[in-house]
Amino acid sequence: MSKPLPLTDLDLWVHPNSKRQKDQALSLLSRLHIVTITAPSREEPQVVSLTKNFRSALQLALTGGGDHQSFGVPSSDVVEDVDLGLLDDYARTQWEGILHYVVNSVGDGMRHDSGGPTEAVKDLLQAGNLVTKGRHANSGITQAGFSFLLQEVNAQVWTLLLLWIENAEKMEMDNVDVLSFLFMLGSLELGRAYNTTTLTESQQRMLGHLVDFGLVYIPPSTSTQFFPTRLATTLTSDASALRSVSAGFDAATSAATGTKGFIIIETNYRLYAYTSSPLQIAVLSLFTKLSTRYPNMVAGRVTRDSIRQAISQGITSDQIISYLSTHAHPQLLKASAAQGGGPVLPPTVVDQIRLWQIENERMKATPGFLFRDFENQKEYEGCSRYADEIGVLIWKNDAKRMFFVTRHEQLRDYIKSRKVK
Amino acid sequence: MPRAIRGVLVECDPSIKSIIVKIDSEEHAYIVEELDDQTLVIKENMMSMLKARLEDALKETQQPADDSGSD
Repeated sequence: MSKPLPLTDLDLWVHPNSKRQKDQALSLLSRLHIVTITAPSREEPQVVSLTKNFRSALQLALTGGGDHQSFGVPSSDVVEDVDLGLLDDYARTQWEGILHYVVNSVGDGMRHDSGGPTEAVKDLLQAGNLVTKGRHANSGITQAGFSFLLQEVNAQVWTLLLLWIENAEKMEMDNVDVLSFLFMLGSLELGRAYNTTTLTESQQRMLGHLVDFGLVYIPPSTSTQFFPTRLATTLTSDASALRSVSAGFDAATSAATGTKGFIIIETNYRLYAYTSSPLQIAVLSLFTKLSTRYPNMVAGRVTRDSIRQAISQGITSDQIISYLSTHAHPQLLKASAAQGGGPVLPPTVVDQIRLWQIENERMKATPGFLFRDFENQKEYEGCSRYADEIGVLIWKNDAKRMFFVTRHEQLRDYIKSRKVK
Repeated sequence: MPRAIRGVLVECDPSIKSIIVKIDSEEHAYIVEELDDQTLVIKENMMSMLKARLEDALKETQQPADDSGSD
């Protein structure tokens, strides 16, 4: 699309019933600065066009021109003994090291390894408020850290990378550079060697950090090559791929822990976890009252207090439930399959965990803007309908002529344009 | 000309709302606008204060549920 497109033409493409979806899509695209919509005026009709940078970059990418190296430069040298197993192993050790460091701050010193993440990673976790340096020599975990632990691996990776991007400037890197490097990384192929010599100097520095995260592996013998690990290649995959990919990663991690699912939870809220991994036990102890520990399992109960405590630390009931069901023991899965694909967890427990959360959440808070003092009914109706169409309206009262929206920029423009007319 | 006011929309039970109104009646530092039985707008910077006050108020009125049971 090289020429601007009049909005009225665009309206013709869209089924009248889907106007709402069209407006939401347009609003999103312009927030992302992918399209620009000209301000409404009396002389010229409104037109929509792709922003200049996006258009040229898109054309370049589609035609495969330019030397932007968006997809990395594979190394032609044959490398000895770097296989998928080694990469998965490496990624897992690095990543678990980071998780252990975060958990360690709560885990009653269940594990005091000399290993763990490098200083740079520790600083990053602190900058992102996942852990805080307490008064004691040991550091403490924060709310954000708790929810970080319960996320899926892929989400965890992204959380950490976003922190990294935010703090890039402190480490004397340009965050645009970092971002483009990450997207490049996401398009690389697992188990393939890539050249480091074609990278710019700042990218080489980034590579060092990514090695710390376990996203990239550099064989000790040849420093001119790097291998993306599974963590890196799944960065930009879409939602459906994500599931199977994270399953792949789970399979990789399960080598260390024995079985994939290990949690049995009964209708009387008792919980048995067949694991000896300090990481998993520490995560469980965030929301369970653990009572007994055996060499290969821990037993405990999910109680109102333990859930309350978890929720006060910022963990949601949905996070807990999804953690329990993704790590459910094969026996629970078998039982649910026997009932023709019923729920994996006992419904009473799931409901009760939700109820415990609702008990604490007595109000639902949404930051935003209250619009009031409309001059007449017509103006009010127009504005509230527009707010609804772009998907920002969350509350309205026709009698009082007030409504509440989450964002006000576009609405402000809209009100101004009404004034013009 | 319509006005836009920054704030936090709070949706809750009527009972909770009346507690919030009671807390606010002491110094009028929290509520921007009462909208209806279940919704009101709160000043953005006072939200965490209000949450703490509400928690305290509820602690006084509620009996903790019995949570015994053997392991």
